[in-house]
Order: sequence, then structure tokens, then C-alpha cells
Amino acid sequence: MAASIAPECNDIKEKYDTCFLKWYSEKYLRGNTSSNDCEELFKKYKGCLNKVLKERGIDVMVEDARKSGSSETDAEFLKKS
Amino acid sequence: MKVFSSGCTFNYSWDEVSTANWRKYCPWNDKSTHVVGVDTLSRTVDPSTGILRTERLITCNQSVPQWVLSLLGGTNTSHVYEVSYVDPVAKKVTMCSTNLTWSNVLSVRETVVYRQSPIDPATTTEFTQEAKITALCGGWQKIKNKVEEASVDRFRENAKIGREGFETVLEMSRRVFGEQRELEKQRL
Repeated sequence: MAASIAPECNDIKEKYDTCFLKWYSEKYLRGNTSSNDCEELFKKYKGCLNKVLKERGIDVMVEDARKSGSSETDAEFLKKS
Repeated sequence: MKVFSSGCTFNYSWDEVSTANWRKYCPWNDKSTHVVGVDTLSRTVDPSTGILRTERLITCNQSVPQWVLSLLGGTNTSHVYEVSYVDPVAKKVTMCSTNLTWSNVLSVRETVVYRQSPIDPATTTEFTQEAKITALCGGWQKIKNKVEEASVDRFRENAKIGREGFETVLEMSRRVFGEQRELEKQRL
């Protein structure tokens, strides 16, 4: 799996990614879309990552991108096919 | 604005492709060494549709032509924000990405779709990619065109390399999943 932008988050990120991939292939793709096995790991990983994004000013860039585009794509791709 | 688009068919099922897609930028992919970080920012499943929405931050470290650096300001590290949607019923993944770095002078919006092929849905997956590149810097049209052309060229090179790298990841994923299944069978 790819590394985190923040080396100090790599361990927890790897645990989360492994958990997610297992959930995705074994549960999500088989129709069990409502389970959230990796929630706890994701919380820890996000806690680690968010600190670094803030320190480097990336959080502001992400927020701007969210504002300028993701509501459009949400409207288009979150609807039922 | 310039548009770059391409497409191809992968000889793998949509389940395999959409799974391997999450590890496209892993050490198995020796073609994407310019990607130095892939971080997940958020992830939710829409309860009514089952659509999985993921936000990621992709960090690249790639050599930029010197004239571009002097024009746009000097760093080789760039960030991309990506929102993806997996529709498990339609068997379709859509990934929309946009550049965070140099966003005041250049807008790169890419949409990538992996969908089950209508011709051979069980074993093949169709891939399409479209990028809209717009230079935003005020001033000379000539310079804008030059910036857009250079970006499209880089996109074309990366698209070809990206495809080759992803083929390797698909092959490795199939092998590893196969081995895991064998192990599980032996245990039973």
C-alpha cells in the first residue's frame, strides 16, 4: 500500500488500509455495504493525519477544493443508477 | 482549455479492477514512483444507494520543466484532491480529481471511470479517462497555450505509464488473492 504524506502516520495507515481492503473485497462487494469494520482504525489514522495537514496548510487547500467542486460531482454520482 | 482523453479495456473482472484500484500506487507498481503519498481524508457509504464515497489526498513528487517552475513558483511536490464514487449495483467506479497545487494558475480536472464492460461483463472492465486542463494566469494567450500544451503532454505520458503500472498491480493482486484462496481451502 502507498505511504502516508506523514511518516509518523504510516503504521496506523497501513493497519487501516489493510482493514479497508479486506472489508471492501469480502463484505462491501458482496452486498454487505452497511458494516463498518474499520471505523476505529480510521478515527486513529485521521487524528494523526489531520494534525500534519494543518501544520502544512494542506487542510485549507482541501477545504477550498471541496467548496469549488465536490457538491457538483456528489449531485451527479451519488444518485441511484 | 485543452482536453485529454483516453480509454482501454482490462482483461479482469470489475470486482478485481475496483479492488486493485485501491492499491494502484503501491510498491507493486514500479511505474508510479512519482506518487509519494496517498491519504484517505474521508469515507462514507450512502445508506440508500450503497454508494461508497471516498476523499483522498494524493501527493506527487515529479520533475517539472524548469520554465514551468520559474513561471508557477518553485516546488516539485504537488497535491491532488480526489473524490471517488463506487456504485456496487451498477458496477462502476468514478474518480474525480483536481489539482491543489498551482490551482491559481492552472486547473486540471480529471474524471476516470472503471465500469463493467457491456460486451463481456464477467471478465473485462472498461476504463475511460478525461482531463480538462485550463491555464488561468492572466495575460498572454501564447503563454497560456504553452502551459496547457505542456500539461497535456505530461498527462499523455503519465496515462501510458499509469496503465502499464496498473496492469502489474492487477496481475499481482490476482496471484496473491489466488494464493490466499488456496491457503484457505487447505485450512478447511
